[in-house]
Amino acid sequence: MAELVGAFAASHAPLIARDWHRFSEERRSEIAGAYRELGRRMTAARPDVILELSPDHWTNFFLDNLPSICIGVGESHEGPSEPFMKGFPRSVAGHAALGMHIAATALAEDFEPSISHHLKLDHGFCIPLERMELPALPRLVPITVNDLEPPMMSIRRCFAWGRLLARAIASYPEKKLRVAILATGGLSHSIGESTMGAIDEAFDRDCIRAFTDGAEAPLTQFLEAHMADAGNGTHEVRNWVIAHAAAGARGFDLIEYRAIPEVYVGCGFASWRV
Amino acid sequence: MTDYWLSKLFFDLQNPAAAAEYRADRAKVLARYPLAPEVLDAIARDDVLFLGRRVNAYLLRYYFGAAGMSDAVFLEKLHQSGKEASHG
Repeated sequence: MAELVGAFAASHAPLIARDWHRFSEERRSEIAGAYRELGRRMTAARPDVILELSPDHWTNFFLDNLPSICIGVGESHEGPSEPFMKGFPRSVAGHAALGMHIAATALAEDFEPSISHHLKLDHGFCIPLERMELPALPRLVPITVNDLEPPMMSIRRCFAWGRLLARAIASYPEKKLRVAILATGGLSHSIGESTMGAIDEAFDRDCIRAFTDGAEAPLTQFLEAHMADAGNGTHEVRNWVIAHAAAGARGFDLIEYRAIPEVYVGCGFASWRV
Repeated sequence: MTDYWLSKLFFDLQNPAAAAEYRADRAKVLARYPLAPEVLDAIARDDVLFLGRRVNAYLLRYYFGAAGMSDAVFLEKLHQSGKEASHG
């Protein structure tokens, strides 16, 4: 059986890539240090595959067809097309069998994900992978979560998806396959709204506290009550909830939190207790 | 209220070649989309408040970037639109 060996979270603000050269040395050091520590922990977990949760920033999907969840089941995935991501590989190896196993497990348990045999990765997937400075990039099963366009999944459903992912990993028949989960996005930010640039540090601190404590009910209640008011980008915390549930909801260790006005995002980095 | 064709225009302009064509000849690109006259007028005026009520906020941001507007000017327009919205 496959084994969940780690679960991690990281913000993915695109300006981290686009405007890197404009940041102060101190700011670059803070951001790089957080990603590097995340990368150190990821490397220590020795994953063969990373199961990565990120929104689709209008890269693969449009209003014609907008899945709540899409699992990348391809043998490979296309690298980012954004001009500021040119340094990232143009193709990333996938794990088609694990991706299909997750999709099949989901359908058998009355979940209805979309699947893609050719998923394009945008900055949401790629900035953390690039900045963690992993010695080698493990194979990737990307999962897009609709965090951008209403209606979106309930927090309750995100918990259910996380538990489902844990069961799918545990039931995957390849022995000793080591799987890590990486949830990207969040914490508070506002994009293209009249509040763009605002970072809700109070929300972020309370959110981190709720994840750290781990318990499902208070975390759900907190997010249902406050997430929508902390900026439209804050909906990406759904990805964190899925990882949280997959890791058993035992809480996480915060690696770093910084409200970074240069990138408009309250940036958080964490590793769950698996 | 989502405007599908306005959203489609903004979505398509994520393509750098399409964005370059748009910056060079807006009228030519806009003619490909069945946009209402008041929407075309809002585009001509860079009316963030009007357009923002009809498209996803991320697409709105992508559009003004593709159209050549700086982040600073876009932010100023957004913040101004918030004040206008709060005054009805």
